[in-house]
Amino acid sequence: MVAPITLHPETALSLMLAVISSSSTPLLLLNKELRVVAASASFCRAFGIDPGSMPGQEFAKVGAGEWAMPQLTSLLEATASGAAEIEAYEIDLHRKGLPVCHLIIRAHKLDYSDKSQVLLLMAVADMTKAKADDKFKDDLVRQKDILLREVQHRVANSLQIIASVLMQSARKVQSDETRGHLQDAHHRVMSIAAVQQQLAASTLGNVELAPYLIQLCKSLSASMVHDHEQLSIKVDVDDSIIDADVSVSLGLIVTELVINALKHAFPEHRHGIIDVFYRAHGQNWTLSVSDDGVGMPENANDKKPGLGTNIVEALAKRLDAEVVITTAHPGTKVSIAHSQIAMVENVILEPA
Amino acid sequence: MHFERPVSRTIRRQSEISMSPNKPVVLVVEDHTLIRQAALDIVNLAGFEALEARNADEAIKILESRADIRLVFTDVEMPGTMDGLKLVHYIRDRWPPIKIMVASGRAIVGESQLPAGARFFSKPYDEASIIGTMKVMLTASAI
Repeated sequence: MVAPITLHPETALSLMLAVISSSSTPLLLLNKELRVVAASASFCRAFGIDPGSMPGQEFAKVGAGEWAMPQLTSLLEATASGAAEIEAYEIDLHRKGLPVCHLIIRAHKLDYSDKSQVLLLMAVADMTKAKADDKFKDDLVRQKDILLREVQHRVANSLQIIASVLMQSARKVQSDETRGHLQDAHHRVMSIAAVQQQLAASTLGNVELAPYLIQLCKSLSASMVHDHEQLSIKVDVDDSIIDADVSVSLGLIVTELVINALKHAFPEHRHGIIDVFYRAHGQNWTLSVSDDGVGMPENANDKKPGLGTNIVEALAKRLDAEVVITTAHPGTKVSIAHSQIAMVENVILEPA
Repeated sequence: MHFERPVSRTIRRQSEISMSPNKPVVLVVEDHTLIRQAALDIVNLAGFEALEARNADEAIKILESRADIRLVFTDVEMPGTMDGLKLVHYIRDRWPPIKIMVASGRAIVGESQLPAGARFFSKPYDEASIIGTMKVMLTASAI
């Protein structure tokens, strides 16, 4: 609470004049005839007016008369008469040879016991820079969007070149083994490309996992499954939205495991289904790819770790997840699980 | 008087040797050599005869020079007076029966911007679905 201080009217006026003259906000003190009683140094500086010309000047003749805007004048007169109060009136100030200023005017009638002495306090805020800043920011956002689209376009085109070269090479080579490797490399490129396509449709660098993995498996199935009656890929993924970086890893893992199952689980046109599954619970998640094929060879020595297995191990490690391979009778199930075990243990260790 | 560009003549000569004359003809329009070559392979794999153009202007010259082209498979972003989008609208106006397939790295291009019945593919495209779509489009129109 501030205790009311009663001042002699002349003391009050001189105090007010001192406050006005030193104010950093451009201020004008006008009487009821709209003549200048006082102007802040900041007002004169901001609008290029000689301070000596101000006292007693008609408001309409301030500067070179650029403030004489009929609408503003009538609003100030209405304020002086007590009929209105200017809360935030926007005007454009036009001066010869200078850029237009966007101003916001506030004006208040100062009440005194002496009703004959009406004073108006007018404050001016220059929004020119703020407006320019807003435009600058809008321009930047637009430029960023254009740039991002351009980058996505270039990435897509580069991936198309890589994919084209890999497939052409695969068609030309004589060795079946080499052709297989080139085709696998092509699948890996396409798996990353599918993320790019999902990303291009999103705005925040996050990817909806389900449509991504569905598209990925559709594309794997289209290029690797010759008889869709014989083999099918089922995708069961919850509505998780995940970071693009993580989705690239998950997509590559699915690519490797599905390719692996297609190659080894269904020899001699055996019929079957490959199941791609993902569920998240809070921070924990499980991804699995299972098949109802012939299962893994009994002899552990026959399990040659190929490039695909290495890729899965490396990606799982990157995601802080564990790979578990189980025999599913029939078939094989590979699960990649990420769980925040450390955090759970901390909770348990804390005394109740 | 119109002279065929060397680019399409080479392909035709190859096709005269290796392909039967009644195969449907597909024109591939793509400015990038590696992507174009792979696309030509895809057309051949699908069992059709392939012609190539590096931009819309070349494509139009080829289309003007022969009446047997049944499908145009084009990129969108290409140098020249027209991009792929303008090209496919031009083709639809001038040669309405020709089937249209469009591929682009720009995700914002959708089938809504294409002539009715045209199909859109995001780059990098899946070869199997390109082949499948080409077969469906050309078989359906043959009936």
